[in-house]
Amino acid sequence: MTAFIVHLAILAGIYIILAVSLNLIVGYAGQVSLGHAAFYGIGAYASTLVAMSWEVPYPLAALWAMLVSGLCGLALGLPTLRLKEDYLAIVTLGFGVIIDLVIRNLEITGGPDGIVGVPTPVILGLSFRNPLLYLLLVGLGVGFSLLFTYLLVNSYHGRALKAIRDHEITAQVMGINSPAYKVAIFALAAALAGLAGSLFAHYIKHINYESFGLHTSILIVCMVVLGGMGSILGSVLGAIILTVLPETLRQFQSYQDLIYGGLLVALLVWRPQGLLGKGKLSLKFLERKE
Amino acid sequence: MVWFADISQEATPQTMFLQQLINGLTTGSAYALIALGYTMIYGILGLINFAQGEIYMCGAFVTVLLLATGQVPFLVAVAAGLIGAAILGLILERVAFRPLRGAHPLVPLISAIGASIFLQSLALLLFGPNNRPFPLTFDFAAMNLWGLPVNTLEAVILLAALGFMGLLVLFVRYTRYGKAIVACALDRDTARLMGINVDRMVSLTFVVGSALSGAGGIMMAIYYNATYPRMGFLPGLKAFSAAVLGGVGNIPGAILGGLLLGVAESLGAAYISSSYKDAIAFIILILVLLIRPQGILRGRGH
Amino acid sequence: MLTLKSLQAGYGQLMVLKGISLHVRPGEVVTLIGGNGAGKSTTLRAISGLLPVWRGQVEFNGQDLSRVPAEQIVGLGLALVPEGRRVFASLSVLANLELGAFHRRDSRQVRADLLDLQERFPILKERARQPAGTMSGGEQQILAISRAMMARPQLLMLDEPSMGLSPRNVQLVYDILRELKEQGTTLLLVEQNARAALRLADRGYVIETGRIILDGTAAELQDDPEVKRAYLGKGYREVWE
Repeated sequence: MTAFIVHLAILAGIYIILAVSLNLIVGYAGQVSLGHAAFYGIGAYASTLVAMSWEVPYPLAALWAMLVSGLCGLALGLPTLRLKEDYLAIVTLGFGVIIDLVIRNLEITGGPDGIVGVPTPVILGLSFRNPLLYLLLVGLGVGFSLLFTYLLVNSYHGRALKAIRDHEITAQVMGINSPAYKVAIFALAAALAGLAGSLFAHYIKHINYESFGLHTSILIVCMVVLGGMGSILGSVLGAIILTVLPETLRQFQSYQDLIYGGLLVALLVWRPQGLLGKGKLSLKFLERKE
Repeated sequence: MVWFADISQEATPQTMFLQQLINGLTTGSAYALIALGYTMIYGILGLINFAQGEIYMCGAFVTVLLLATGQVPFLVAVAAGLIGAAILGLILERVAFRPLRGAHPLVPLISAIGASIFLQSLALLLFGPNNRPFPLTFDFAAMNLWGLPVNTLEAVILLAALGFMGLLVLFVRYTRYGKAIVACALDRDTARLMGINVDRMVSLTFVVGSALSGAGGIMMAIYYNATYPRMGFLPGLKAFSAAVLGGVGNIPGAILGGLLLGVAESLGAAYISSSYKDAIAFIILILVLLIRPQGILRGRGH
Repeated sequence: MLTLKSLQAGYGQLMVLKGISLHVRPGEVVTLIGGNGAGKSTTLRAISGLLPVWRGQVEFNGQDLSRVPAEQIVGLGLALVPEGRRVFASLSVLANLELGAFHRRDSRQVRADLLDLQERFPILKERARQPAGTMSGGEQQILAISRAMMARPQLLMLDEPSMGLSPRNVQLVYDILRELKEQGTTLLLVEQNARAALRLADRGYVIETGRIILDGTAAELQDDPEVKRAYLGKGYREVWE
């Protein structure tokens, strides 16, 4: 039983990182990425490949995952972040589909079967095979992500981002390079997703395209919307709820997607601010414009 | 992919090319029909109806299910499919779009995504994931039309699609409500001054756009002999690319974009790589948005 | 015919109209003049239902319009020619005119009215099939007015019909308005160009920062020193002479 709880906790932790990172994009760049799982997948594969081919110690593999994902985020964000919300959403979705295809077809990613035998992290001689220890590792990852986000929000850059979000034109007049900030946020969010991917890969030890597709991207969006777009704590909550609940309500497994879809619509119609919206990273844009 | 009598012709490079071309035009017509739905809705609401692919799927399912009973004549089943798709579109508008009027554009977008997933899952639960073959068999002969290796199935689909598109153009150009819809898309307030009830025109747009998408679904159900709950997902996304390619909000643009995309996919899959076929639509989308965002025929920015 | 009592309206949090009262009798030409931002357009938009009425009454032929949605207004006999003409640019001139009669059920009469307008304004016949956006400013204004006339309104409201037009075109437009007046159409004219408006109107109101500060017959207003100073001053002469 405890093994199950630990397993859930690990998954929840990974999804917390994913949800918080997506929330950065939503809350600060005011955009939605429907392909966030692509960065998750890129991080997972990057970390795996570098650990397996070059026997790189885990911390470096994780860092490498973040770097690669971050760069991909940069590459996607740079040309596209100036697009309008709905266009960007579909572009990110298309990006997700493309990455999905690539993962499925490339040889180094093992094609449709994926990669088996991802090595267990060993840091300073300590093997993290024990799930409890791994939970600790994930906890470190979560802690890092939350700390980073908190520091960012409260820094000069955080205030600049808030200015961009609330009054973009004014911010630009004041010399804040709005496009640069948005792209930076996007890249950072991608990097965090890459971290999550790395943690996931080395835990589950067998990765394939199924974990990193649109389904997962939508799940992450659900978590952010449920918790409240823009609220960091909300994303944490959303991630926990949507990781734990499906497991405890196993008998509804086949209705899962139905519920996710219906939940999104219902939330947006009746409670667009989610559970904790209007918190720290509160978004005024959820208010109706009239 | 095509399940009728094979073309009894030598497979020269030219004929292969032409075959791919025709195939591309056929699937392109389906894209065009869905793209028309997108473009009309975007024109009048400024929103992307993410669930357009599911409406396409709905049209196919209604027709296929009715035909499977063996009691319903073909044309009636097709008509029912169109009506079913239209009704679904109407419901969607009421539930997922209208209550969100005036909110930040992200909100109806995510709502539509939710609706899309919901509908897909619903179909999965109700009908199971398996491919359903089309309940009727048609006897299609291979033809040689002015040197084009087209078979009657493709010819019929192309003609039917062109027919629907033509009807739409006539509708928009020459009927009272068609013009009213365009007016609403151009200048909502002034349209109201003319006595046009914009809400009703929005609903009408959804009805018409959905019927067209449903038609596309029925055609592809026949063409690929496959109907399954997820069948609308990729075509829906690709049709969006097609709409952007032609110029969002522009009706002839959607038609052009759809056909071009279909051909590009078909030729790309045949001559470049077939495993990345699905990526072509998105690559085109990204390129268009970067290089010429208003599309070929200059859509309307909102 | 039309009565406004202490009308208050605005945008978002900002109250623009702070209690407007005016009336228009059948057959009259009444003008509402004022400077930029005084609330002239806002008044017309509030009457037309495009803007919600916060307080006060809008009565037309005995009926309260303040809760009536915009699309029903034209059916009651009120038509608005909006500011900036707002023709449907990518639709043909003909389509624009037809849309003007959208709410009407009597198609034969509509046809007759259409032909009639095309007789009066040949430009509408010449360019019938062309997109309205290809017309010049003056032509578009003729189209916009004709489009509103297609609704057979009892009261025609115009929002700054002279705006953005060359002096010659302004003359053209006002000649048309004079024709309408002579035919007995009731007009409510909102204008920045006080000179032309007062020449045409029977009565006028002067609006400033959301309030009516002056009213009287056109002659009275033309002679009023305040009006002369503020709205008929030297600046206008260059435009008009």
